Amino acid sequence: MHVKLKDIEFSSPLLTASGTYGYGHEVQDMVDVNQWGGIITKSVTRHPREGNSPPRIAETSSGMLNSIGLANLGVEKYCEEIIPFLNELQTKVIINIAGTALKDYLETLDMLESAKGKHVGYEINISCPNVKEGGMEFGVNCEMTEKLTQEMRKMTDKLLIMKLAPNVTRIEDIAQAAEVGGADAVSAINTVVGMAIDLKTRKPKLNTTFGGLSGPAIKPIAIANVHKVFKAVNIPIIGIGGIATAEDVVEFLLAGASMIQVGTMNYQNPDLGAELKQKLSKYLDQNGINSIDDIIGKVEYHSN
Amino acid sequence: MIYREMGKVIFNEEIADGIYKTVFISPNISSSSLPGQFVNILPCSDWQQVMRRPMSIASQGNDEISIIYKAVGDGTRIMANWPIGEKVDLIGPLGNYWEGLESCFPIIIGGGVGIAPILNLHHLLLEKQIDHNLIMGARHKGEHFLKHEPQNKIFLSTDDGSLGIEGNVVDALISIYPNSKHPYNTKIFSCGPPMMMEGVRNYSLENQLECDLALETIMACGIGICQGCTVERKAESNGQHSYRNRFALACLDGPIFNAEEIISCM
Repeated sequence: MHVKLKDIEFSSPLLTASGTYGYGHEVQDMVDVNQWGGIITKSVTRHPREGNSPPRIAETSSGMLNSIGLANLGVEKYCEEIIPFLNELQTKVIINIAGTALKDYLETLDMLESAKGKHVGYEINISCPNVKEGGMEFGVNCEMTEKLTQEMRKMTDKLLIMKLAPNVTRIEDIAQAAEVGGADAVSAINTVVGMAIDLKTRKPKLNTTFGGLSGPAIKPIAIANVHKVFKAVNIPIIGIGGIATAEDVVEFLLAGASMIQVGTMNYQNPDLGAELKQKLSKYLDQNGINSIDDIIGKVEYHSN
Repeated sequence: MIYREMGKVIFNEEIADGIYKTVFISPNISSSSLPGQFVNILPCSDWQQVMRRPMSIASQGNDEISIIYKAVGDGTRIMANWPIGEKVDLIGPLGNYWEGLESCFPIIIGGGVGIAPILNLHHLLLEKQIDHNLIMGARHKGEHFLKHEPQNKIFLSTDDGSLGIEGNVVDALISIYPNSKHPYNTKIFSCGPPMMMEGVRNYSLENQLECDLALETIMACGIGICQGCTVERKAESNGQHSYRNRFALACLDGPIFNAEEIISCM
């Protein structure tokens, strides 16, 4: 079950998606977080953010909408309060960074690089749909994605993963820009822009009107986007979008993902890291698959 | 300590119109929970939605916990049909609990979906032998399962006047305490539908009464991760976590909030 990303070895291909597992300590009473291949922490920004006004979440068919607005304690407190805890974990830690301007991203990265953290890498959120100031403009623009990746690459030797949005015309172009900029991997997909309306009040179910849709409802969109990116780049892809079962993991691997992240389903079952690891291992055994590497991107097209 | 435990259903019955009571054997959650706290429930193992269903605990002890709920949505309808012996995936106990009971005269007010934590508080006060008033509101007689016993300080109200005091729980407060003559050091504790609690909150503010409210919000994780169950507090409120001063989380900072600290119950 071990997988490698660049020179970093993970005990399983299963990671937590940013924002769906906090910093790992919230679930510690209930589960062994070290069963995960790695934890990707909730987005941290240069300054503390209080986030959006409620309501911030809404349930939809097999999914949910959210518009949290990157509520977090800011990088200074993160370095003081969160990193010491993360350093205690046995599993690999990847820190997710979000921002609204190039300067924010770089300053945040600089402070995290200076902190004495054992984290193995960074995932860069260039695709949050819920922040007005425009963090999203990076994720929809090839030049800005390449520039941001390049600047960050100069500052760190740790893993650099760019997280891609599906809310673009051609996700493969953004992925290529990240590759050219020097990213070690891309992760796809972030949430899909969605909206729901309360019929009684005729108000949107989210305060911000639009939000990000996640959960099993978006899995086919995610599979399609992962496969498009797989055909366009040579760097590894970390697949995300509605993963709930070992079969879902295999589907992402076949589409071209080398690793995966579990997101929204963590809310329902905080122990999916251990459960999916066991079930995936069993699935691979039962189907005569010796290594995960043997099935990455091995979808077989119809022959007509 | 938060536990994830498979609770075994030992009682599941309709106790009033559309209102169900379920009792689970759930030793860990039972022994560690306090009145006011809640559990986050997975209605069934093949649940097709992503969110669990948060439910207040109505009683705890002897390895058991109980919940009381209205069967109104897809989750609660599954719950109402749990057979005896069903094993249900529970996470709890979660959230804060009722506090500051000793040095006041508690008036405890429940209604609709907010019956459970108020009943739990009622039993705690009886156990502690703290004199108090209980007011329960409903739309009509059929939704009540307690008896209207003013002599025992248990007051029921119905919107249609079919049982107890006619009107909502605020009408009941006005009728029990004409001219706002409340007992010395009255403190209100309440849980119910948002409209009801907003009425109770306004009553407490107008009458300068201390008031704690257990709020119900939409909620996903229940343990502070998703940051979805936000309750807006007045900006000057001071919290431990700076970025949560204004937007508190019902699952960690609540579900019980002081009437003065929040903007609204709606």
